[in-house]
Amino acid sequence: MTNKILQINNLTMIYENNPEENAVIKNMNLTVDRNEFLCILGASGCGKTTLLRCIAGFEKYSGEIKVNGERKALPGTDRIMVFQDFNQLFPWKTVEKNIQYPLKKQGIKDKAKLKQLSDEALAKVKLTGYGHYYPYQLSGGMKQRVAIAKALALKPEIILMDEPFAALDAMTRNKLQSELLNISIEEDCTIIFITHNIQEAIVLGTRIMVLDKGGEIVIDEKNSIARPVSPASKGYGELWERLHSALYKNA
Amino acid sequence: MLKRKDQIYAIFVRIIFIIAVLCIWEYVARQELFGERSNLIFPTLEMIGSAFIRNFTVGYAGISFWAYIANSMKLLIIGLAIGIAASFILSGLSMVSKGFYHIFNLVVSIFDLLPGVALLPVIIIIFGIKEEVIVFLVVHAVLWPMSRNVLDGFLAVPKIYVEAGMNMGLNSFSLLGGVYLPAAMSYIVSGLKVGWARAWRGLLSAEMIFGIATCPGIGMFINQMRTNMNNAEMYATLVVIIIIGLVVQYGILTPIENCTVKKWGMTK
Repeated sequence: MTNKILQINNLTMIYENNPEENAVIKNMNLTVDRNEFLCILGASGCGKTTLLRCIAGFEKYSGEIKVNGERKALPGTDRIMVFQDFNQLFPWKTVEKNIQYPLKKQGIKDKAKLKQLSDEALAKVKLTGYGHYYPYQLSGGMKQRVAIAKALALKPEIILMDEPFAALDAMTRNKLQSELLNISIEEDCTIIFITHNIQEAIVLGTRIMVLDKGGEIVIDEKNSIARPVSPASKGYGELWERLHSALYKNA
Repeated sequence: MLKRKDQIYAIFVRIIFIIAVLCIWEYVARQELFGERSNLIFPTLEMIGSAFIRNFTVGYAGISFWAYIANSMKLLIIGLAIGIAASFILSGLSMVSKGFYHIFNLVVSIFDLLPGVALLPVIIIIFGIKEEVIVFLVVHAVLWPMSRNVLDGFLAVPKIYVEAGMNMGLNSFSLLGGVYLPAAMSYIVSGLKVGWARAWRGLLSAEMIFGIATCPGIGMFINQMRTNMNNAEMYATLVVIIIIGLVVQYGILTPIENCTVKKWGMTK
């Protein structure tokens, strides 16, 4: 196993029926290390969701995406996506079964083992006891927690998060941020997290990137602010300014 | 799901409604408001009631009405089973193959417009006057509306469920069973309702047009009653048809709905 869990070489992605100069992502190169928490900031239309979808295997692209040195073209459980949409859980399955279903598909048949895995995952997102609920009985924040639990239970190489907290109210959002931060510290996992929110990127990321049109990387730096980060942390103000001016330079 | 109070209210108003209709019926019958034909159009409830009992005890042509019901139900169940299974298989194939989808979509649009009885002459030439003809008509009645619903349901499955499924490593056929089928459940349930009603009506009309000596059914019974001007018996048979319809609706379809889409919060 290499330390470079994700390697992207020369990635170009053009949506169907578009001319080449309208490429959403143009010749992108990116390497992500194991256990990194990479936060990607960017204005709408800069290609950050497309990048995530390419990594997940939902789009056709040219170039190369390697996970652990292996080329990936199709979706798979080594790259689990957590969407922004609250409705990503299957409404016809209980919370518990939503978590167990992909595990079952991976070949775990033992019921006790499945129950144990889903209970563990629910405990990590502080939803112990909610296993028998149906998704429609949960709030938006709880649904996102279940989606994260589902991803954690699969122990993927990379968890891809596409603005999972963007539709939540500010308080729930802050709470979920600190929980996700704790999970990322305790668990052995690599996360690529897309957001529009500068505060979110600084609080969560061990590395922060800003993308511009065509997926051009304008900022890519390690986040050196001591965790847990608050607006009073040393260096927060300067970093925020730097990210803010890069993000809004065309606005 | 309805609260207990609402349920009691629903039952209460329905009973009042039925009693009111029966009272009006009986009044019209007793007063013979339709002149000398009144007994044929509106037989009294007493006449219908005794005809109802006579249907089951005496029957027609030495065969009890139970046998007619059993024959009809046998053909209906065979036809429904074939029709529903075929609609799932064909709609499923349509989701796997684009070419098949285009063809099947056209075929559904064409045959859904053709009344089964209009096909009857052709089918009789093919099969002869046999049970297969009725089964064929039931399949024809259920297959197209059911397929239309299943197809629409599959096409309406939100992209995010499909992507979440693909992310779990599901592919064409496992995606069909694991995501498309449950996600389209509300469409499937309404397809079952429409399909069953069409099949039931198709069966009765086919049986009325021609009876099969080896397998006489409810439609044939009603037609014999009409021929012999036994109008009270005819109404009694209609009552049985309604009762069977209600039993299927509340005994089979509603429970299916309750333990799927209602339980999952997909409909109110």
